[in-house]
Amino acid sequence: MPIPSKKFDLSTTVTSNELIAKNHYLLRCSCPEIAASAGPGQFIHVLIPQGSGLLLRRPFTIYTVEGDQITMLYQLIGEGTHVLSRLKWGDPIQVLGPLGNTFDILPVPNPAIIVGGGAGIASLMLLATTLRRARVHTFGLVGSMNRRRLLSVEDLKTIGVETHIATDDGSVGHHGFVTELLTHLLDTHEMQSPIIYACGPDGMLHAVTKIGLDYHIPTQLAMENRMGCALGVCLGCVCKVQMPEGGFEYQRVCTEGPVFNAKDIVW
Amino acid sequence: MSKIHPSLEVNVAGIQMKNPVMTASGTFGYGSEYVDFVDLNQLGAVVVKGITSVPWAGNPMPRIFETPSGMLNAIGLQNVGVDGFINKKLPYLRNFNVPVIVNICGEQVEEYLEVTEKLDAADGVAAIELNISCPNLHCGGMSFGVDPKLTDELIKGVREKTALPLFVKLSPNVTDITVIARAAEGAGADGLSVINTALGMAINIHTRRPQLANVTGGLSGPAIKPIALRMVWQVYNAVNIPIIGMGGIMTGDDAIEFCIAGASAVAVGTANFINPRASLEVVEGIKTYLEHHKIRSLSELVGSLEVTEVK
Repeated sequence: MPIPSKKFDLSTTVTSNELIAKNHYLLRCSCPEIAASAGPGQFIHVLIPQGSGLLLRRPFTIYTVEGDQITMLYQLIGEGTHVLSRLKWGDPIQVLGPLGNTFDILPVPNPAIIVGGGAGIASLMLLATTLRRARVHTFGLVGSMNRRRLLSVEDLKTIGVETHIATDDGSVGHHGFVTELLTHLLDTHEMQSPIIYACGPDGMLHAVTKIGLDYHIPTQLAMENRMGCALGVCLGCVCKVQMPEGGFEYQRVCTEGPVFNAKDIVW
Repeated sequence: MSKIHPSLEVNVAGIQMKNPVMTASGTFGYGSEYVDFVDLNQLGAVVVKGITSVPWAGNPMPRIFETPSGMLNAIGLQNVGVDGFINKKLPYLRNFNVPVIVNICGEQVEEYLEVTEKLDAADGVAAIELNISCPNLHCGGMSFGVDPKLTDELIKGVREKTALPLFVKLSPNVTDITVIARAAEGAGADGLSVINTALGMAINIHTRRPQLANVTGGLSGPAIKPIALRMVWQVYNAVNIPIIGMGGIMTGDDAIEFCIAGASAVAVGTANFINPRASLEVVEGIKTYLEHHKIRSLSELVGSLEVTEVK
């Protein structure tokens, strides 16, 4: 998981900002410098526009890169995301990035298995695009509360990801957890050198970690946390990581992460 | 009339600085993290993250929480330890022409002394900032800074170990900050950093749990600026050593307020999280103000608050 390159703090404008599923928006803005070097798993730190009364920036994963533009897929959670959801074409926005490390796609997985829970799938889209561009056979397992909140399925199918859905209420796809889709997939397919990539709620990630260990499949997780600076100085966004020599260390999701080896995370 | 070119240079407790703007400890890492945004050579001084005798793991999560115009933190002084700092962080900072001030902390007096001795022997340390005000430690830290007798003993001990300029960072979590300020001055402090974070808390009403794992944390950002200004003013009127003012400084105008209240220099903290170039923009803002008001030197401004006596 190489630590990438130069970071930029760009003053730019919103190109589009649309509701794509219940409670979820996709915001697009022009960020040539960030678009040029953004890798799968990396994120941006977005300043909430002045007048909102909010102080800290908010971190969002980079969903896609389209030429000079990047997109971010976000869920309405609190005041910050509500303010963001009201931005329109031409509104100014301040974007810091690209930040954090990237998913490791070497050695090349065969197949790659992407497991996203809720808005967690957003952290895996750029990865899926990168994998498919390299013609890697990729499964996409997408979990959602219900049909109305389902994200990214069409985007994944368009780039040739073999996609399966699980919903909590059974309104579409498998009625149950996305982790059940994962065990079913592993039980029914012969796989040469699979790698699991996951992002979602803590409970789901913990379950995916256990499955990865049970089936001896390398598993990478994109972790999320509240962030202050996103530059590695405030130490606010840490997660607990097992050290090879024993004991643990609090590592920064913004700097050592957001991607961690699942087996290293202490839950 | 020709435009004046004000001097931003200041000398604080023997440290010559190009301008009065420092980075507040814990908000600028060890300097290298901001390389893409800030040329360290353009800062007055770099104050690094608090250092202890051995590496500290820090507190469990969650560690930060945003509150109106501010943020709470309870990091618990996660740091690389003094040896890690000297071997891995200090060499990078030696590449720059900027004074490096090292913030130090501990649970016991002996830890402060050990760290001081090692820093005194290291190459590239301009001064020590004694943290007697960290609110997130269960012993040590702030417990020194709220007791004038402990403050006196600790500073005298550290003073014996080094000839480096010694700043003492004061806690706002006291009844009368001037009592601690005078104790620090009397024990041999060369300057005072005013203020550290204010102790606060926030609660998730749905889970009825604290927003920070540590329950309480230190409040920083614009929310505490009026408190910080008031304390700088009080301390300025109580001691004769220079003050580094800090607490919610976001702009050059904020910094000027602190100078008028009595600060000889300022530190930018939480603003670094929001705008990575905040420290340099504060330098620019100070310069603009001095030009606009035709003030040749910042020193003319320090403690220049005009108060009308109430009769």
